Amino acid sequence: MNIPLNRHSNILDFSLSSLLRRKSKNLSLLVVYTLIIFVIASLIFFVQALKREAAQLLKEAPDMVVQRMVAGRHDLIPAAYGEKISAIRGVTSVSPRLWGYYYDQVFGANYTLLVAEGKPVEPGNIMIGAGVARNQRIQASDMLTLKTSANEALLLTVQGIYPSSSELISSDLIILSAEDFQAMFNLPPGQNTDLAVTVANPREQVTVAAKIAELFPDTRPILKSEILRTYDSLFEWRGGMIVVILAVAVLSFIIFAWDKATGLSAEERKEIGILKSIGWETSDVLLLKFWEGIVISLSAFLTGVVLAYVHVFFFSAALFEHALKGWSVIYPQFRLVPVIDVYQLTVLFFLTVLPYTAATIIPAWLAATVPPDAAMRS
Amino acid sequence: MHLFRHLPPLLLCLLLSFSAAFAAPATSPTPSAKDKCPVCGMFVSKYPDWVATVTFKDTTTLFFDGAKDFFTYYLNMQKYTPARKQADVSAISVNDYYTLKPVDARKAHFVIGSDVYGPMGKELVPFGKLADAHAFLKDHKGKMILRFSDVTPRVLKSLE
Repeated sequence: MNIPLNRHSNILDFSLSSLLRRKSKNLSLLVVYTLIIFVIASLIFFVQALKREAAQLLKEAPDMVVQRMVAGRHDLIPAAYGEKISAIRGVTSVSPRLWGYYYDQVFGANYTLLVAEGKPVEPGNIMIGAGVARNQRIQASDMLTLKTSANEALLLTVQGIYPSSSELISSDLIILSAEDFQAMFNLPPGQNTDLAVTVANPREQVTVAAKIAELFPDTRPILKSEILRTYDSLFEWRGGMIVVILAVAVLSFIIFAWDKATGLSAEERKEIGILKSIGWETSDVLLLKFWEGIVISLSAFLTGVVLAYVHVFFFSAALFEHALKGWSVIYPQFRLVPVIDVYQLTVLFFLTVLPYTAATIIPAWLAATVPPDAAMRS
Repeated sequence: MHLFRHLPPLLLCLLLSFSAAFAAPATSPTPSAKDKCPVCGMFVSKYPDWVATVTFKDTTTLFFDGAKDFFTYYLNMQKYTPARKQADVSAISVNDYYTLKPVDARKAHFVIGSDVYGPMGKELVPFGKLADAHAFLKDHKGKMILRFSDVTPRVLKSLE
């Protein structure tokens, strides 16, 4: 029991010192290897975290949203529609929603204006997202001026700013009262942006949607499952872009690993010959090469993954943020919540560490089977 | 004006919760992750929408993943729990299809032959109100509305 362990530790000791002997070669190997793992792992972490944020966001979404369409465009929906829809069997509740967009010409930014349902602010007061506060350079209890559609100034007091923890959702958000919203956009009374419909039994959603479409042919019911599908395909698209990057990274890894690991230098071949002539067996030589490969690839893998974790979750994936997050003036500044997909990391492990180790062993095995004197002479 | 606009839905909510409170048995326990349907052996908590419960006078409760399995049990208790009789049952509840709230099974209406399937396939879909059952029958191509006492082993046979 003790003897094989001793053999392993001795060979490991030898392989570490032989790695140190070729310091510059192995160090450059380690750096490139770590860099590739870093890029791949960063991508994996980033996509997982974004998917989780989206799922979190949609958990709060209503079962169904009913929009009125006029000439193929989203239009205001009368409150009377809501009363008839709530009479449909299976509908638990219908809540009218008011929301819209506002373009601030001075700051060149788009804000989302929303009348909140739960705890509405008093007329004259607003709650704003952290992105709006940054953009306008205002704080709580300051005043914000919005221009109404009649070109009048609407002065609103900032009651509070949403915490930065919810910034992906609330960054460009302004919550205001229904009265102020109506004044802002000069809405006719009894009109809403859309209706949020709750259906208790998920099995009944499709039937309810069909009934709404039949009852009001000018409306479009949108199911939560459809929204989810749209988001999924969005991430799939971004995921598609990511697959391309991933493929390039993996390919470059394969080329690098092949190049670095397969070609044994004449010096290494001679070393194997010497080791064999002083009594090392082929299995010992293979073990030595195996440990060398493991030491390099495992340390590169661990460093790369840790660096990627820090990059994505502490620096919000600064390297590819702009390519993947959107094109608004108000960028949400947020920290992604760490999610680790063990499955994907395992796949990454088996796609890098194992092939690299194998690629180091095979040429050594070929060299070790050659008679020692031939190896030394070559 | 603000208050009045919110009044009708508020009243409706109150009314609904009252009617639900009256219709439902006094207690409607929820199945834990370990509760299995005595008839088919499936875990009930995976299908919360379809849960049917039988509460005995000694307060023990059995859970079923659908009204069909409940009736299978209730009409043949000798087979599943020989120690218990129909007379020991204190309350039976099934979930109303539209509201997903428990209603007294003895007063419920069941629609058979519809295009809605439960975890065990063809189902008796329960409703607290007859009008709801009629609407469902129309929407989902149901064949018949049954009362509690109408459900016989022959009906269950036709749902297998």
